[in-house]
Amino acid sequence: MDTSSDEADDWFIDSLNTYKDLHVFQLEHPTKVIEWTGDKRICVAGYTGARSEILELLLPLKLYAGDNQGLCAERDFKVQHGGFSEEPVECLIHIPETRFVVTSGGSSPALQIWDIGGDDSDVIKRTGVINPKSTSAKCGKIASGLTENPTVLHGSYTSDVQLTELATGRVLYTVGNESSDLVSGLQFVNACVFLICTSNGALLMGDIRDPLTCHYPLKESMSGLHWCFGLRTSSSQSDPSLCTIARLSSSGHMVLSDLRDLQNPFCQTQLNVQHSSAKNEFLIVSWASVLDSCLSVSGFDGTVQVYNTRNWSTEAQTPQPVFSHRGHDMSYEAKCSGSRPVVTTHAWHPSRPNTLLSAATDGSVHVWDWVDKTTDT
Amino acid sequence: MPEIKVTPLGAGQDVGRSCILVSIGGKNIMLDCGMHMGYNDDRRFPDFSYITQNGRLTEFLDCVIISHFHLDHCGALPYMSEMVGYDGPIYMTHPTKAICPILLEDFRKITVDKKGETNFFTAQMIKDCMKKVVPLNLHQTVQVDEELEIKAYYAGHVLGAAMVQIKVGLESVVYTGDYNMTPDRHLGAAWIDKCRPDILISESTYATTIRDSKRCRERDFLKKVHETVERGGKVLIPVFALGRAQELCILLETFWERMNLKAPIYFSTGLTEKANHYYKLFITWTNQKIRKTFVQRNMFEFKHIKAFDRAYADNPGPMVVFATPGMLHAGQSLHIFKKWAGNEKNMVIMPGYCVQGTVGHKILNGQKKLEMEGRSTLDVKLQVEYMSFSAHADAKGIMQLIRMAEPRNMLLVHGEAKKMEFLKDKIEQEFDISCFMPANGETTTVVTNPNVPVDISLNLLKREMALGGPLPDSKRPRTMHGTLIMKDNSLRLVSPEQALKELGLSEHQLRFTCRVQLHDSHSDSDTLGRIYTYLKSALKNYGVQHLPDSTVIVESIVIKVTSSPEEPNLKVILLSWSYQDEELGSFLSTLLKKGLPS
Repeated sequence: MDTSSDEADDWFIDSLNTYKDLHVFQLEHPTKVIEWTGDKRICVAGYTGARSEILELLLPLKLYAGDNQGLCAERDFKVQHGGFSEEPVECLIHIPETRFVVTSGGSSPALQIWDIGGDDSDVIKRTGVINPKSTSAKCGKIASGLTENPTVLHGSYTSDVQLTELATGRVLYTVGNESSDLVSGLQFVNACVFLICTSNGALLMGDIRDPLTCHYPLKESMSGLHWCFGLRTSSSQSDPSLCTIARLSSSGHMVLSDLRDLQNPFCQTQLNVQHSSAKNEFLIVSWASVLDSCLSVSGFDGTVQVYNTRNWSTEAQTPQPVFSHRGHDMSYEAKCSGSRPVVTTHAWHPSRPNTLLSAATDGSVHVWDWVDKTTDT
Repeated sequence: MPEIKVTPLGAGQDVGRSCILVSIGGKNIMLDCGMHMGYNDDRRFPDFSYITQNGRLTEFLDCVIISHFHLDHCGALPYMSEMVGYDGPIYMTHPTKAICPILLEDFRKITVDKKGETNFFTAQMIKDCMKKVVPLNLHQTVQVDEELEIKAYYAGHVLGAAMVQIKVGLESVVYTGDYNMTPDRHLGAAWIDKCRPDILISESTYATTIRDSKRCRERDFLKKVHETVERGGKVLIPVFALGRAQELCILLETFWERMNLKAPIYFSTGLTEKANHYYKLFITWTNQKIRKTFVQRNMFEFKHIKAFDRAYADNPGPMVVFATPGMLHAGQSLHIFKKWAGNEKNMVIMPGYCVQGTVGHKILNGQKKLEMEGRSTLDVKLQVEYMSFSAHADAKGIMQLIRMAEPRNMLLVHGEAKKMEFLKDKIEQEFDISCFMPANGETTTVVTNPNVPVDISLNLLKREMALGGPLPDSKRPRTMHGTLIMKDNSLRLVSPEQALKELGLSEHQLRFTCRVQLHDSHSDSDTLGRIYTYLKSALKNYGVQHLPDSTVIVESIVIKVTSSPEEPNLKVILLSWSYQDEELGSFLSTLLKKGLPS
């Protein structure tokens, strides 16, 4: 069966120069989450059915073979552990230093706690549930606490965000905020300080030692847009002066702020993207783990765009990406099904500078190592 | 209860020695007879002592079926048939029959000549073994004997690979061998109909893998070849005559054309002849695209690929050469390798598994110095690349196959049961079937529930439908009366009247009569009336009638009252019923014996 089109062929041929490594996989069901659970392992989970699979996958060994890469023919993912969730999985986070992940999804704010398991079994078992007292029917966003005692910060609206201790289910902290904005993301900056980004682009900064939070709305309100955020830290216990926050809107506005001065963003710009309000749920902005000043954006279409923000100034301009991953658009499955796939999520590799993983609505998962053509090295 | 037994014979849990025994309907079948390539001693052979402690296997096996020519599926065949002893039929597809002996002979030469093994099969044994082979065509049912039949299905994977259905009566098993569900450049995808076997047997390693796409593997190949050629190096690709070679040639040809590359690509002539020969024989086994190409021109009339001459190996500058044999163990590919190994700009790409003892195996294990004949050593400075192109199914593929075949049970071999619980759950829940995972040497027994088809007569059906309501109605099950006639090989359900007619019998009626004595001073007809009233209230669910001819009828039971003139107060109640109403009849007689209420 002739499965290629000319455009796809061209792209693959070009990829010989534009990528160092490229792996294309097809999952049975699409995933909205890619979460690192170890140096070489990720978790993915289904969101399209009543019964969703959660899988822990081992990345292809060829990526880790180093100098002996030529002698390793192993290019496939290995399914290490798997489990079933009765609800679709919208969010999945890993609790560092443990084998636990926490998921949320479906039409309630309840969270599920799972034990991925060790060598003796391949089943991911649900070990607990957190039932927040919120009355909302929306599933919550989750972030892992950064203390030794495993905790999760979660909530669907700013009024119901709380910090829960995993082992006991005890609520250790609740955000004392009157307003009830929809939460688009939350994350800890260090063991005590956390950030919440609301759907309308405002940032809230809080400290678990203090019930009050500081509210930093966007200067010019752009209604009708959905915002998400990405936090860049150099380590989990970092000095706040090294934190940069990127906020991205569903029409491509990008706002960069320094944690020391959230009131006044140091850069605002407009990315060249197609606005589509239908895909707010897939909008992601993510800072590179190793490369300085690089961030990546996805959720608008079937591509992942990588930008270098170093040369962005405060004036409005349209920056060009240093790299655009078009693999999901060029896949065979996309051609067949009629509707073009949209990238649901992407993640940077924690230690390999140019390696990313991305997933799309057609069930594809790509692992790619892009070549930076803008530098001379 | 009828049952099917499956026992994988391969040792250890690792893949590499496929040999599965199936007992079905009193027949014993061996599926594949592979060699484990990692061991040098008897562990490389399957453990045949499970079948019988000593002696030949002929009387214990009805047939042996080989799925494809890879050594981990057929490598132990000559050992089994000639050294252990088996004279029955060995089934395999035509391409497998043609290619197997070549691979076995190569393998034998390497093992005996290079490694000096002694307890190994001889060249004559391979020949004698192949004489027992009966070739199979796709989708053709073959009667092994009166009760056992087998059928081969297309499996993809390699040329001639088949999935096999084994059937005895209404019980069947399908064994997949190695297969893949996505077509590639020269082979189609596996296909099977909704044959609903009792058991589908497959490899568990597939189910825990999510495979990188074919295009990415090809991309890696092209990238490596391109980089080597760009820096002026030479690329050696050792291949077996068939399959992979064609695919890589097509790929390179397309690439060279697109990129307008000038470096020469060569294909050794021995390869061309052999390949053409095989393709002519087995054209139906390749996919549409290859068939079209082959019809239009000779397989190897490529624009950019030319026939190789030994002398070219010394030419300066970049080039790509495809040469046999595939494991660098002898011949032209080894000759070229020796010439090119010393230059780090060059590259050798191994597109498949190499048997122990070959140069291919050694360099894939990272060996940098090789001992050649005449005590000379060869420094391996060229780049060694191991690429796996073999087409295997994966987690998604296994689910697709189950959907296609709709087995009643699933059985996965070569896996560790405790590490496969998730997969077992997944299959059991998605398809509502049981999933078994026997360890090597462990027998799984699956109880089958074969359906016995019975024809129902039209009259009987019409009669049932006349009773009203849709059929079948699971909320209101009804008892149906009929007669089962088993004649010759057919089973029919007919109405009792029709059965009697067919058998030339007349229907007999059986009626019971019972007399109950009762003291009652009323007249006969009044007593009857009292009986009627009593029964009417006592038997609310039954039809009780008082007829003008002085009888009370309960359903079909007739009740009369008589008395003798000498003793008018001693009433005799006559009850009469046919044997179908036996229960109600005896109930009534017991009830009336207790007397009437006053």
